Amino acid sequence: MEFLAEGFRRAWSLLIAGDSEIFGIALLTLKVAVVATTIACAAGLPLGYFLATRRFWGRRAALTVVNTALAFPTVVVGLLLYGVLSRRGPLGGIGWLYTWQAIVLGDVLLALPVAAALSAAAVQGVDPRIRRTAETLGAGSWRTAWTVAREARFALAAVITAAFGQVVAEIGAALIVGGNIRGQTRTLTTAVALYTSQGDFGMALALGLVLLVLALLVNIALQALQGRGSG
Amino acid sequence: MVELRYVRHRYEGRVVLDFEQFGLPKNGTVALVGHNGAGKSTLLRLLALLEMPTEGHVLWNGTVVSNRARGALRSRVTLVEQRPVLFRGTVRENLQYGLRVRDIRHAAADGIIGDVVDKLGLAPLLTRRRNELSDGEVQRVAVARALVLRTDVLLLDEPASSADRAAAGALYRALAAERAERPFAVCIASHQLEDAYRWADDIRALAEGRLSPVTPENLFRVDLPAGEGLKSVRVGNIQIAAVSDRSGAAVLAVPPTDIFVSREPLASSARNVFKGRVTGMAIEQRGAGVQVRADMGGVELVASMTAEAARDLALTPGGAVVFSFKATAVRVF
Repeated sequence: MEFLAEGFRRAWSLLIAGDSEIFGIALLTLKVAVVATTIACAAGLPLGYFLATRRFWGRRAALTVVNTALAFPTVVVGLLLYGVLSRRGPLGGIGWLYTWQAIVLGDVLLALPVAAALSAAAVQGVDPRIRRTAETLGAGSWRTAWTVAREARFALAAVITAAFGQVVAEIGAALIVGGNIRGQTRTLTTAVALYTSQGDFGMALALGLVLLVLALLVNIALQALQGRGSG
Repeated sequence: MVELRYVRHRYEGRVVLDFEQFGLPKNGTVALVGHNGAGKSTLLRLLALLEMPTEGHVLWNGTVVSNRARGALRSRVTLVEQRPVLFRGTVRENLQYGLRVRDIRHAAADGIIGDVVDKLGLAPLLTRRRNELSDGEVQRVAVARALVLRTDVLLLDEPASSADRAAAGALYRALAAERAERPFAVCIASHQLEDAYRWADDIRALAEGRLSPVTPENLFRVDLPAGEGLKSVRVGNIQIAAVSDRSGAAVLAVPPTDIFVSREPLASSARNVFKGRVTGMAIEQRGAGVQVRADMGGVELVASMTAEAARDLALTPGGAVVFSFKATAVRVF
């Protein structure tokens, strides 16, 4: 118990003192998470809408692939991406290995299926008459999609939250393709793992608390967006 | 205006529509009658250019509509579904939706909306949201949302199904007022034959995906007994045999062209054979036929035949006549 209490005391003092390392790690984590979530949702939400609303050959197989990708192990994604980005890999020339961009790429690969599969389910949950009605009133495909998205706004906000949660809590890919380099690719999750292994429980706990607060703030922001207007 | 030709439309391999031609003339009013599942909604969706037929063509002013042209033409036709939905937002925002799509905003949009709102008595509802409206009110708003678009073709699927008689009357009056100001083609799918006869130029019946003309004659309000297949229904003093799986209140329609006229009972497969007296004969308004009216034990039936056949049978008012028709010729609505 004493060990835990000591850990919390040190974590609190680090946070109160505004430790620059914690601040830097949190900032990088936020940057990576926001960029990766934005890219994953920008591609995943339209993909989900497409899968939910269009009938085409292979649609069922595509949905199965996307749903299977939800459970893809993060370390495997990291490993495959490492192979692709390493000097001998097909994208080795761009020099992204051990950069924050590589972490973003890994996170996008992990969050994209989350965004696509959950948004497909969200769109399928919207009364099909909404889409038909928009079409009968002359709406083109973009406006129809926007109208459907407005109806599914609660579920889609939950999709964004889930994608953000996937990205911010991910460690496997970030560790492998990021390399956990101090000041450059060290994110909250990789830092927590590192400091725990080094026995600096207080620092790990402080970073863990920041991670929790970050997740909480994003959820509050999305809930506030959901709550605007009804009916 | 818009026409379907040689249509055979399938859903998951099952044929749901199968007919040679269905046209909606420019500025015409057509009623489409048929029971639930007859294919009315699917037919309206084809006319609304929301779907293309699996086989056959859609023509717009005589020109075959290609997939490419469909998008542009869709803004000239609109459909109100049987159970319409409103979008998130107020009634006013719903009425603005289609106008925004057409880039009509501000004062122009307000003017159009105000006009339709007055006709349908929707002014008190403008600031309400969908969860604050009854089913009948939602239906009226949906019709108004379609009317403000001023399309060349308006398709309504059971527009008064959630309305009481007064509200249904107001809806038809509003449509008539709108058509008096601005001619446009209307097609209303309905199971209310009486309403259809009141305002439509032409009535087409749809049963199991097939079309047939319906005339105002030989319509009987009946109470169908339970059970499937052939059943006998009392109409006045006569029993009419009809084939239907439905039960309860229904309307029977016997197309005059499906009635065989003779002087004596014929040996045939017809389940309905009635002896009576000719009460009147008239030249048909359309075509070169003769309408023969006969009293069959207190029930008047009308049969259609050629003038030559009427002459050969030497039919005269007061003379004996026999009407025969098959049970399958009786339409049930």
